[in-house]
This record gives sequence, structure tokens and C-alpha cells, in this order.
Amino acid sequence: MRPALPPMLRAPRGAAVLPLLLFAAALAALGFLPLWMTSPYALHVMVLIFLAVIQGESWNVLGGYTGQYSVGHAAYFGIGAYATMMLLQYHHLAPWWGVWVSVAVAVGLGVVIGSITFRLRGPYFVLASIAVAEIIRLIALNWTDVTNGAEGILLSDIPPLTIGGRLITDFMSKVPFYYVGLALAAMTIAVNWGVQHSKLGYYFQAIREDQDAAHSLGISLTFYKNVALAISAFFTAASGAFYALYVGFVDPSTVLTVDTSVQIVLICIIGGIGTILGPVVGALVLVPLSEALRSNVIADGLFQLGVSENSRTGQFLKENLAHAHVLIYGVLVVVVILFMPEGVLGFVKGLRRRFAGKAALPAKGEA
Amino acid sequence: MAAPILEIDRVYKFFGGLAANADVSFSMEPGTILGLIGPNGAGKTTLFNCITGYYPPSRGEVRFEGRRMNGLQPDKVCKLGMARTWQKVRPLAKMTVLDNVMVGALARTNSLREARRAALEQLHVVRLEHKEDHLAGGLPIGERKKLEVARVLATQPRLLLLDEIMGGLNPAESEEIIQLILELKKTGRTQMVIEHDMKAIMRISDRIVVLNSGEKLAEGLPAEIVNNKDVITAYLGDSLE
Repeated sequence: MRPALPPMLRAPRGAAVLPLLLFAAALAALGFLPLWMTSPYALHVMVLIFLAVIQGESWNVLGGYTGQYSVGHAAYFGIGAYATMMLLQYHHLAPWWGVWVSVAVAVGLGVVIGSITFRLRGPYFVLASIAVAEIIRLIALNWTDVTNGAEGILLSDIPPLTIGGRLITDFMSKVPFYYVGLALAAMTIAVNWGVQHSKLGYYFQAIREDQDAAHSLGISLTFYKNVALAISAFFTAASGAFYALYVGFVDPSTVLTVDTSVQIVLICIIGGIGTILGPVVGALVLVPLSEALRSNVIADGLFQLGVSENSRTGQFLKENLAHAHVLIYGVLVVVVILFMPEGVLGFVKGLRRRFAGKAALPAKGEA
Repeated sequence: MAAPILEIDRVYKFFGGLAANADVSFSMEPGTILGLIGPNGAGKTTLFNCITGYYPPSRGEVRFEGRRMNGLQPDKVCKLGMARTWQKVRPLAKMTVLDNVMVGALARTNSLREARRAALEQLHVVRLEHKEDHLAGGLPIGERKKLEVARVLATQPRLLLLDEIMGGLNPAESEEIIQLILELKKTGRTQMVIEHDMKAIMRISDRIVVLNSGEKLAEGLPAEIVNNKDVITAYLGDSLE
């Protein structure tokens, strides 16, 4: 127990300099990384990690801090992707303008949906969020005149970005996407930091912990849930636009499925829900894992260990393991959730506390 | 006589065919403590919920400082200066004690610094400042109740509604709460208190309202209530003769 100081003498909390320095250092290091890491595949994996970070951090504002477990974020991701692509391909609106339109649509729609579904609590809200995303997928699938239906939209090319007549980039390599991804990821992390260190963060967490108590303490539930959703939808839509431009193709079955929604939630669950670093950790675990399984490293590893590639087992592994990557991925995710219910970050914190012998001390919700 | 701070005017609340409150009327003077008592199921908490906006009264009117409150949401009610605690405490479990109270204080300010200052002040009032860094979910029941009071005080209510704030406490803890309620009275706050501990309620209340089966059975000074035949009957049943 510490002696009670008069309120005036206590240092205000939240003025943490070290995390800020670390963040800046990481950002600078990542900024220089493409100078020597030129492999397109390595850059590709980095872009996927950035994408996952953006998605996870965006979801975190609504799901993590505010406790509204949306499993329908594919809706905002898909709208961001589709709107940007449609504006670019059919109306020749440059993506750096189009993306604003698409996030505006996503936020507008989000608030309309939120005003209806936020009356629901717990599992009912989850179901409603899935239903809304499915409705939007079906619209994209069937409103062929506008969305080109199941065929999707293939991008012919992105116009080069020039400022004052000077060419900035022609988007031909992966490097510009790397930097846009990095910038967006940094931005969403900053937004989460800002939320956690403001009135919004306190109100969001109060709503997560107990809606009725929050309501009785002067917090308008609908208003603050919608604010959380608007922030979340804004950056999720931006990530959708980013993804669409990067891949150059959208169709309902890649950007609007429940899989996409679940993937976004998983990033946070694996990393640690409601923490700033959780989605980053989740992205760093999930993306390399999924890439490794997809490229069949397990079979390759077994071959390295002496299993003959030409034996019947070898043949079986080679043929089937690559297809089984989704299964293995799923099993691993279940294992992580079972043994680390608070995510990798929570698990590490728990270990640290145990080794420091301070298990009785309360964990402060900083990350 | 000062204008009443709260007027309950012929309030009814129906749940289907059940009248949880029927024709309840009374009013409160500013700065006083009103004890609301009655057997289990008398409709005390229902009345609290009607007053604080959790559901609108089916009929009748609730007026706070002359203003009609029917249909206002709980957050509006809180902003207008009327705040309640919960019979079953509702700590924001994964937030610290200080953060819990700051959430209350943020109803009056947008500045975290200002909210922190106000929160520490209220923690001092309920004598919980040594626990400010603890997670609210880990507090024992006595301290949870204090936290509940500090949090609600931080919203700067002029009228405080305390729902069984001493329930589940040991005598020493109850005594602390009683002292706290009396201190708050000295600062000019008006309080409505639901309580089952008759000794406590008689000590602190200026007036008492007794509810039974949703209706107001009696109202008066504590001394009048203890000798009221109807009240004794409601609690203990008819005599055998």
C-alpha cells in the first residue's frame, strides 16, 4: 500500500515517453526496410501483415474497447474495396479521391446499421452483424449492373500519382503499397492509442464492462457505440480499398464473406483483445503462419528431416498437406484460443507476472 | 417550505397485468434523506427504475426540480443531476478503481486530468484512495459498495438514489456507510435510500415511505412509521386473533 498523497502531488498517468520512442524507432526501421529487403515475396508478406494490422486495429476500437463483437466487418471491408474499385474502373476517379468516398459510404451505412443493431446485446448483436454483412454480400452478388456480380471487378491499372507534375509513383512495384500499408497501420495504431488515452476510451470500456452501469453514469450508449463503429468502419473501409488496389481485383467471395469477418476478429483474439499491441501481435502470428502453411513448409520440413519425398507417405504429404492448410490453420487457432484465452499478449503478460512473482498484483489495462 | 426537489405524482408501472407500482405519490425536500422501505417485491427497485429512466412509468409523472422526467434515458437523467447506485453492484471489473470513478467524473468534463482530480477527491470521500490502482473486479463487497458510491458521486448529483447500499455488509461496514450518508447530507445532497436494515433506516431518514404490493402504504417521520399498525401488519402479518 502506498501512502495517500494529496491529489495535486501525483503525476498524471498516461504520459509514457518510452512506448512513443519505441513506436517511432519501429516506424523508422520499417521505413528503411525496403531499401535492402527487395524480394517481392518478402514485401508481399509485409503488405499482408500491414493489412492485417489495419484490419485488426480497426476492429479493436469497436470489438476490443467497446466490447461489441462484430462478426460482420467484411461489410465495411467489402464496401471500401468495391466502392474504390467501381469509382476507379467505371468512373475513372483516382483512388486517392475514391477512397474518401468509399469510407464515407461505409461510415454512413455503418451508423445506420448501428442505430438499428446496437439495441441488441451480446450474441444477438453478433448474429445481426453477420446478417447485415451477408445482406451486403448478396447485394454485391446479385446487383450485376452495378457490381458485375460474381465475376467481380478487375482493375485495368492505377493511374500514376503525380504532385505538381512530378511523378511520385506509378504503382508498378510492391514498394508504394508497402509504404501506404505502413502509413495506414501506423495511423490505426495511433488512433487506438488516442482512443485509449481519451474520454472516448473510458466510455468505450465502461460500455464493454457493463452497459447498464455505463448508462446510469451519463453515457449515451447508442451515441458512443456509433462513434466506435464509425471509427472502426472508417479504417476497415480504408483497408478494403487498400486491399482491392493491391490485388487489383474484387469479387463477393473474396472481400464480403463471413471468412473475411472471422479473419478480422481472429487477428484480435489471437493477439489480445482491447490492447493497442494485440492486433499487431495477432497479425505477426497469423499472416506468416498462413503463408507458411499455404506454401507447404510442413511437408518440405518433413522431407528435410528424412522422410523420402518419393515414398507413399511423401507423395501423400505433398499432395494433401498443401490443401489441408486451412484445416491446420484452424486447429492451431483453436489451440491458441484454448491455451491463451487472453491472446498471445495476455499469455506473455501472465508469464512475466508469474516469473516476477507478483501474481497478486493487478494487471493494468495498458499495452 | 422549499420547492420539492423530486415529485412522484401518481406513478403506475405495469408489467403485463401486474402492477409493480400503483398510484405512488410523494415528494422530497432538498437536503433531506428519504427512506424507502417495504417487504420484498413491494416495488421499491421498480420505482427507482421509473425515476431514473430505465423504463418510463406506465402512468403518472416524475418531476425533478420541476422538470418532467418521463421518457428521458438514464444518461440524460444522470446529466440532469440525479444518479443511482445498483442493488447488485456493477463494478467495471476490468478497469481500475480510479478509472471507474473517472468514468463517472467524465459526465461533467472532457478533460482526463480534471476527471482524475475529481475522481481522487471522491475516492477520498469514501476512503478508498489506497485502492485506486486495484482492478474493480477484485474488490471485496464492502469496498465495491463504496466504489459504487464514489463513482456516482463523481457525476455530481444533487439527488442520490441508493439501492440497498448496505446489503451484504457487516455491521462495521454498514456503520461506515451510514456515516458516509450523514456526511453527504451535511454537504447538502438529497438522498433516497432503499434499505432493509430498519435500525439504520430509522437513524438516517428524515421521512420514510413504505411500499407494499406496489402501493404506498404509509408515509411519515421514522417515529410514526415504527408505530404504524398497517406497516407492522405488512411486515409481520395479522395478529392471530
